[in-house]
This record gives sequence, structure tokens and C-alpha cells, in this order.
Amino acid sequence: MRLKNKVALVTGAARGLGRSCAVRFAEEGADLVLMDLGTDLPGVPYPLGTAGQLEHTADLCRRQGASVLTAVCDVRDPAGVGALVRDALSRYGRVDVLVNNAGIAAPSGKAVHAITEEEWSLMLDVDLFGAWRLIREVVPAMLRERQGSIINIASTAGLVGYRHFAGYVAAKHGLVGLTKAAALDYAPMKVRVNALCPGSVRDDPRVESRMLSEIARSLDVAVEDHEHTFVQAQPMNALIEPDDVSSAAVWLASDDSRQVTGTVVTVDGGFTAR
Amino acid sequence: MLMQNADPTTKGAAGVPPAPPGGSCHRPLLGPGAEHSLVVRLTGPSSLAAARTAFDRAARPAVDDGAGFWTESMPFPSDDPRAEHLVRREALRGSPGERPRLRAVLVTYSDDAADLVLVAHRTLLDREALRRLADALAGQGEPDVPAEAVRPRTPPWRTAPDTSPEPPLWGLAEGGGSPVSQGPAEPADVLPQPGTPEVAVAAAALALARYEGTATVTLAVPALPGARPGSGGLLTVTADDERTVAELIEQVRQRPPAPDGTGAPTLAVVVCERLPGERYRPLLAPTVPLTLLWEAEQDRLIASGTVSDDRAVHPGQAARFQECVQYVARQLHEAAPDRTLGEIELVPPDRAARIEALGRTLGPHLDSGRTIHDAVGRMARTRPDAVALTGEDGTLTYGELDSRATARAHALRASGVTPGSFVGVCLERTADLVVTLLAVLKAGAAYVPLDPAYPADRLRYVCEDAAVSLVVTTVADFPAGDGVRVLAPSALHGFPEVPLPAVASDAAAYVIYTSGTTGRPKGVVVPHRNVLALLAATTGPLELGPHDVWTLFHSSAFDFSVWEIWGCLMTGGRLVVVPFLTTRSPQEFHALLVQERVTVLNQTPSAFSALLDADARQGGGLLLRLVVFGGEALDPRMLRPWFRRYPTTVCRMVNMYGITETTVHVTAQDVTPVQAGPGSSCVGRALPGWSVSVRDERGRVLPIGVAGEIHVGGAGVARHYLNRADLTAERFVHDGRTGERRYRSGDRGRMRPDGSLDHLGRLDEQVKLRGFRIELGEVRSVLLGDPAVAEAAVILDEGTDTAYARLVAYVVLRHGTTADVRRRVGTVLPEHMVPAAIVSLPALPLTVNGKLDRSRLPAPAGAAEPGPAPAEAPTGHGASPVTGTAETVLAVWRTVLDEATGPDDDFFEMGGNSLAAVRLLAALRDLGLPALSPRDLYVHRTAAKLAALADARGARS
Repeated sequence: MRLKNKVALVTGAARGLGRSCAVRFAEEGADLVLMDLGTDLPGVPYPLGTAGQLEHTADLCRRQGASVLTAVCDVRDPAGVGALVRDALSRYGRVDVLVNNAGIAAPSGKAVHAITEEEWSLMLDVDLFGAWRLIREVVPAMLRERQGSIINIASTAGLVGYRHFAGYVAAKHGLVGLTKAAALDYAPMKVRVNALCPGSVRDDPRVESRMLSEIARSLDVAVEDHEHTFVQAQPMNALIEPDDVSSAAVWLASDDSRQVTGTVVTVDGGFTAR
Repeated sequence: MLMQNADPTTKGAAGVPPAPPGGSCHRPLLGPGAEHSLVVRLTGPSSLAAARTAFDRAARPAVDDGAGFWTESMPFPSDDPRAEHLVRREALRGSPGERPRLRAVLVTYSDDAADLVLVAHRTLLDREALRRLADALAGQGEPDVPAEAVRPRTPPWRTAPDTSPEPPLWGLAEGGGSPVSQGPAEPADVLPQPGTPEVAVAAAALALARYEGTATVTLAVPALPGARPGSGGLLTVTADDERTVAELIEQVRQRPPAPDGTGAPTLAVVVCERLPGERYRPLLAPTVPLTLLWEAEQDRLIASGTVSDDRAVHPGQAARFQECVQYVARQLHEAAPDRTLGEIELVPPDRAARIEALGRTLGPHLDSGRTIHDAVGRMARTRPDAVALTGEDGTLTYGELDSRATARAHALRASGVTPGSFVGVCLERTADLVVTLLAVLKAGAAYVPLDPAYPADRLRYVCEDAAVSLVVTTVADFPAGDGVRVLAPSALHGFPEVPLPAVASDAAAYVIYTSGTTGRPKGVVVPHRNVLALLAATTGPLELGPHDVWTLFHSSAFDFSVWEIWGCLMTGGRLVVVPFLTTRSPQEFHALLVQERVTVLNQTPSAFSALLDADARQGGGLLLRLVVFGGEALDPRMLRPWFRRYPTTVCRMVNMYGITETTVHVTAQDVTPVQAGPGSSCVGRALPGWSVSVRDERGRVLPIGVAGEIHVGGAGVARHYLNRADLTAERFVHDGRTGERRYRSGDRGRMRPDGSLDHLGRLDEQVKLRGFRIELGEVRSVLLGDPAVAEAAVILDEGTDTAYARLVAYVVLRHGTTADVRRRVGTVLPEHMVPAAIVSLPALPLTVNGKLDRSRLPAPAGAAEPGPAPAEAPTGHGASPVTGTAETVLAVWRTVLDEATGPDDDFFEMGGNSLAAVRLLAALRDLGLPALSPRDLYVHRTAAKLAALADARGARS
């Protein structure tokens, strides 16, 4: 039980990596605050997680014995984020771990000059500003406790470029930069900030993830072809499983990594080592 | 929804008198974080809506937005282990934040049961109000609970400035500034023990008194079960050994705790009634360093855990304290009322045995038939041509050393030395000294070392006390008493060989005199076996062997020399005998260490600090691989510059705590740069074969972390004090239970959880100065023996640095001057015991109890000397003229010695010692004067003479 007596807040928890992290954290003894937009977003060309999926994640966590507080909330809404964090602190008195997982991969599929003002703003508002808003609200409570672990789920797109994904790549690079700067801001107070950069994660029905399919759709290629292309590109010759990422998140959340801050942990089968 | 075992008489707020302002507990239990929780199990279908409505109606108006009602719907039944874990977590979850809060969590399970968890700040709702709120939420009692039921009884706390008390010494906490939100430690299975709440509090008070080493203690005690609400507060209890059990418990029963008392107690004791159907936790986070939680049920007590602030009390210490309190409570309950508290034990026997075992290090098996000279003889047989001794008077191989000592042993035997007798040896530090000591052992006698620098009275006293049959000395007019033969080493030649006796390992090897409490030095008789055990314990761990070069730096009358001489010669090393004057010059000694390629150095920290400076000036170059500190407390911080030049991979630094009565050393601890940070008093674990324990005045083992007297047992315990059966019986105690003989050191210490020892100074007035243990009373009694002195007090002036420590005497004079007194005292006491400054006062300051008030003694430097006769004028008539160099030299003398020093005052008579000499010469060198050595100062002892010498040298150069 590596997260015993810890309270973790996970954004984008309705499905995918957010759900995987939430359930793994519950297995390790944490109590959870789970947040998701819970609805589709105009401008994002694919269905997002639902409130029902968020409740399903909560139920999976409760089966592990965790206490769970769920909230439907938009990371773009400063007031909503503030209220959620106040609620979490009122309920649990503390937040030890923040996983900034909420993010969108599209609108994408265009060259830089073709991206519209709205598309660019939406991407950065969700993927980069959203993480910053959560940090801003959660950090005071962590500083008071002189401990805390913030895990920003970035991407290999935070380390290298991808064609026709400029908004996503810029946002994720920004998130890696935010990670390093925040780590230095809070290191004296023992609040740690790290980035986790997954490679291409397989769509897993257990966590209802669909990242890979949506990227394929953005690029207008068949999912099977896209998967094949990615597997070819992976030195370890396989796609990343959601559990591979959430296991790394457990380590970053736990005191096992107490001297680790401002770092980037890649879980990409060696993709960025080339 | 039904509440199990609910009390049907509970009906909301009606009929319950409101608690007085201040609540039911004292301020220490009301600060931020002082929250409590209640858990009740509900059965039957839960009505969440009804509970929420009831909560909104009952709690929200009173608590405003500080109240929260939450539900958890768990997909498993209420008897699932996951349910228990979850509810425990909820019940221990505090609400650190800006203001008091109330939290209700209704956890429902798949089997229709539910747990209601209420957590509130203690100022907001008391236990009774929590219970009433639980009733209301469960649909019990009044469905419409008036807001008054849960209205705060006291205003919510205002955040007070942090008044956290000093962490207790016994807490063994690492400290640190971070707030620690450590939840209560709840033992898994605790058997109820008979006793009342008063017994629980009395036991805690007694345990705390023993832990703190005081008779009177103050603890925070909220109202006990059955007591008037609001009767809690600060309780002050006196628990000295003479009081009876009944008197102690009566104090708890009768003395009203003061609700408005001030002060920050170390300990709080919370005793709560255990009620059926609910689980109550009175405190979730620390508000004082340590809180003991008890539950009372009829006439039984259950120790339900501790809440400790990790910054002040280590969790392990909290648990051990609680264990002691439980044991004490059991005894208090069972004891006859007239039993005295002194008879109550603090530590349970099984725990005491474990603590004893912790302080004991198993030693190697010793060959019982061996002696010191056998061990040296073995080296002579195996490596006869290896060099054993290097001195100013020549070099000796092991073969030569052995044959010379044997020849001299024959001479001693022929001169009447018999096995078992004592032979005085009064020789300068030379190779011949070592030959003589070995010869005495071979002759079957024990040596009594006599330092030629000691005053005649002291030498005469030791000879008489030890009844030495013979003294070997080069001192021409050695003050031997009647019937004592005095022989020069040169006279011990050409005697025929006589058979040398077989010597048993438990025969006495040496008698070393140490300072005595009654003003008389006492002889410590140490057998061969002890020295063999010391080497068996250290040879391996310190990797001692023939490759080592040691120095004999210390006087043979100081037992550090026992270690230097025999540690070297029993392991085949080469012993470099350091001439006395070289020991007084760090520069010359440093040069000798480099020249002789010395690898093993033994030093007192004071002496080493001077060597450190010399090494820095001369740019290092030492080949040392091991430095052993002994003789006085080491402040590892002084080693910082050393570690920069010599990492521990090159030269190991070992701090050893030791006592003459336990054969030089007792414990050893490697000192590392990490420890060179904050000052550490840790002296390490017992040497193999030795044991250490920390005990109270009755010899009972004290708990880990508690300060008491250090007792030393095992292979190093000396045989006895010579001719002092009473003192021997007092200090060398026999443990009837273990059969072990232990020496009561008179040192104050505490045991750490890993079995290492913290040395905390002397219990009595005995002080250590530059490695010498000095009984202040002994110096005082000598001063009082002077006809001019009416009253006297002696203190150790430690200044800011142990290297500058010195003895200061305060006297009330009948006639004469302090200089006269100093001169006379110097003829009786050895140099290290002569006060560096003697201050004359019209009267000694006393406390109301008539004891010396040390705090009111003036600082010696600027102290006037209003004695009956005027003090010697600094530059009175007849004094040398003060000009040029002389002025400079005198100014420096005055900073080192005393403002009143005159140009013709003798440096050593004015209290100057070797360390002061080093400081003086360094200061003169820094002022650009020609180089002067300690040797020069020994010859030119006044400022005027030294200035003349400096001028002469300056003129030559």
C-alpha cells in the first residue's frame, strides 16, 4: 500500500489514463477526488468522457475500499476549479497528489498555418492552462503540509514534434516547461512536480480509452494502419498499455520518489531514445 | 434507521446543562488541530435524505459553511475489512485549515448497514453534542433538533502565536520546522487493565517525573469521566520518591486542574469513557508534544494510543512512554496505599532486560592465562628485530626492549620487589620509562605512575597511600616517605638473574590515581586481564598491527598512556616517545608526527585543536590513518577543517568515551563529516566485552532516551579503589540479578534506540579539563586549607570553546593576596588543578537556600580584587619599565591571562597553562614578533623577559 492515507486528485478521470491512474491509486490505499468535464466539447471532433463513465471509475475505486469524491468540472473554468478544490479540502482536509491528466488531442491534423485562432486557443486552454489552474488551486494546501506530488501527464509530444499536431505539441512542450519551473518554485517546500510522458497508448476497453483511434481519425488513416505504424516506430515493438503509465504515476505519487522533482519520466518503449 | 445501543434517555439539548466557557478541557487541547471524532454503526435502511435534512437543520446554522455532510456508498457489506479501514481513515481525518469545521460522513454498505462518522473541532462540539448530533442524523430522539444542540459552546479558537514547548530531551526527535500531521498511533490489541482514570493520570505524572528527572511536573488533563464538565486544565503533581501511592493519587483527585493555567505542557492525558455502540477518538492531531489516550470502562483502563508531534517526540519514544505508564498504572493500582513512589518501577522487567542487552556488546573469548608482558613478549619472539621504541634516549627493537625489561625485572626482584607489590615509577617520557614499566610487570608487581611534574606533596601522598616498596626515578630529591627505597634506573644494572614469577591475568598491572570527591586522590587498581580485554576489543575494529606507528604523548599518570603504550606494544607497532616539551609545542609535535611517519594518534580534543591549527599552518603532510579522541567531550564541529584536508577514507577519526575505573575506554564511535554538522553528544556503542546502561539512583535501568547515570559493566571494570573499601562498595556495585559487577561512573548519559550512548556531562561537580578529571571540591578543599582563605568556590569557566576552558576560583581572603594563595596552592596541586584565575570577593553570593549562587559570580577577567590587602599593582614601583616590544608583549599577556598581569609576573604562576602558552605565542607571532617557542616561554617566564628575548632575536635577524 504505497499511497496509504494519501488523497489524490485526478483530472480527466472518466476514462483512459485518468481511470487507470485512479484505480491503481485506490489499489495502493489512496482516497480520491475524481474530476472530468463529463460532456462533449464544441470544437473537439470526438466524444469525450461522460459523467456516467466518471461514476464508473469512482465505483471501480470504491471496490478497492477507497473513499471517492466526484465532480463534473471544466479545467477551463477558473471558478469551477477553485470550487472543486475547496470542496475536496473540505471533504478530506488535504490533497497530497494532483494528476493533471485532462487533455484533448484534437482539433489537429493540420499544418501550423492552417490552424484557426479558436482551435489554437482551445488546445492550449485545455492541455496547458488547465494544468496550471489546478496547480494554482491545489498548491497552497500542499505547501501548508510541506509535501505533495504533482504529476503532469504530458506526452512524447512534449519532447519531440509530430507532423500536423502543432497545437498539441506546443501545449505538451509547454506542460513540460511548466513542470520544470514549478518544480523549482516548490522544491524548498517539499512539493514535487514531475511530468510523465507516455508514448502511444493502446486503446483499452477496460478504461474505455480511444486516444489512438482519435489520432488516426484526425490524420484520416485507418486505426489498424495507424497502430501498425506506431508499433513499427517503437524500439520495443509494442504499444504502451495504460497500466504501464499508471504504474509510473504511482511511483511519482508515492514517497518512494521523494527526491524526484522537475524530471520527465518517459514511458514510450524507447521511442524518444532514437 | 436505528442506532444500536442508543441511550433512550438522550433527548437533544434539553436537560443537559451547558458547559461553562472554556469547554471541558484546557487550552493545550483546544488549539488548531484539536479535533475529535465519533463513529456509530447504524442498521436498517438508511435514509440519506432524512440524515442530510437533519444535518442541515441541526448543524449548518451553528457552523455555517464550516460544516459538510458527505455520503459514501460502498459496494461491499459492512463486515468487509475494507469497511473497517475506510471508517478508521474517516475518523482520523483531521481538517487542517483556517477555522474549525464539522464533518459528517455517512458510509452506507451493500447490506443496508451504515457507519456515521462525525469529526469536529473540540471547541465547536463536545463529545455529548457529537452524540446528540449523531442521534439526530440517525432519526433518533427529537426529529427537529434545535440549533442549540450543536451550537458552539465556546468561541472558535483564534489562532494563537506558536507557543510550542521545547522538545523534551527524551523525545529523541529529529526536530525540523515542518508541521507534522501524524495521526494517532493506535495499538492493535490492548488488554484492559484494572484501574481508575485517576490512576491513569497519576501513572503518567510519575512516569513523566522520572523521564524528566524532576519531582514536580505539569500536565494537561481534560475533565476525567464522571468529573464536572469544565474541570479539566493544567495539573501540577509532585511525585518524589518519598511520597506514598495514596498521596500521589490524592493529588490527582483533589487538586483542581487550573483551566486558565499558563505554560506549554509536554504531556497531556486524555481519559474517555468507553461507551457501547460508539467509537470515540478524543484527539486526531498533536496539540502538545505527547498525548496519551486512555479509555475507561467500569474499573478498567484501556490504553488506546498516543498522539505525538514527530518534531518533538519520536513515535517510538511515544510508544515506549505509554508502555511505561501502563506498567506504572498497574503497580499503582495494586500497591498498598502507603507504599512509597520510590518503590514503583518505571520499566517493565522484560523491557529492562532488552535495554540492558542493547547496551551490551559481546566480546571475544580471552585466554585466561595471559598478561600484558606475555603479549609484548610474544612480539619480541616473533619479530625481535622490529623497532618497538623510538625516543630521545634511543631506539629499541622488540628483542632489546624485552631483554632490557627482563634484566631490569631481575634487578627489581633483587631489590626486594615481590609479586603483588606496588612499584612507583617517576620518570620523564623516555624509552627508559617504558622499559621500567614493562620490567615492573615482569617482576610480578604493579606500577604506580608518578608524574615528575607533580608537586612534592602529591607525589608523597601517592607513595604513602599505595604503600609502594620502591620508587624508580631520576628525580634527585624525590619526596619519598620513610621506608621507601628510591632507585635511579641507572642503579638497576648488573643484578644476577632470578626466576621471574608467573603472573596471573587477574593480578594488578597498574594503579592510577584519579581525583577524589573528598579531596584525596584515589588509586584505581587495574588487572592485566582488563588491558588484554581492551586490546582484544579494539585490535580488529581499529585494525591495529605491526604497520602502525604510535606516539606516547600523555603523562604516564593519565590512563590514556596505558592505551598508548600497551595498545602499541601488544600489537607490534612502533612507539614514538614524545619528549615533554614537544608535547607542549603543536608545531614541534606536528613536525615529529611527519618525521616519524606516525599513523595512530591519541589526543584529547583540546590538544588536537592546537594541532589542527599547526597542521593548517604547515600545510598538512601527516600520514595518520587513525586518530582516537579520549579524555573529554568532543565537539565534532571542530573537525570541519580537518575533514577538508583528511577525508575519513584516509584517516579514521574515532571518539572514545572512557573512565580510568573501566580501563581507559568504554565506547567507540566513528566521527564523520556528517556529524561535524550540529554538535552531537553521541559516544557510540560499548566496546566488545563492555556493557553500558543508564540507570536511576537506585540502579534501575531507565528507558531509552531518558537521562540518568551511566553504569559500565563487563571486561573493563577495575578491581577496586586502593584502601577505600567504602568508596569501592559505593561505586563498584554488584547486580544481584545478573551477577554482574558495574562501575557507577557519575557521568550523565542516555541510551539511544540503537544502543549507542549520549554523554551529557557529569552528575556531580566533577569536571574534565584538557583530559584531566578534576573534582572541583578537591581544589576547593585545598584552597580552604590555606590560612589566608576564609571561603572558596571553584567553577569551570568554559567560555565559548572547550579549548579555552579553565578553572576559576573565588575566595574570601582573611589577609594577603590572591597571588600568595596561588603560589601556595601551586605547591599542593598539580598544574592542571591550579585555578587559572583566583578572584577575591568580599563575600560569596548565596541563594536563598544558602547555597552558592553561581549565576552571581563575577566574570573573572575584569573582576576587581577588593581583598583586605591591595592586589599587586600591574606596574607598581620596582616593576620593569614598559616600552616598545615589552608593551606589545604585555598587552597580549593581559588578553591571555588577566588584565592585572604585570611585566614581572610569572606566566605559569599567573595561571598560564600550555594552551594559554600556545595562544600567547601564536598571537605574538601574528603581531610580527620573532618566532618564540614554548621552550622559550618555559625559560623566560615573564613578559619583560620574553620581550627582551624577542628584542634580542629581532636585533640578530
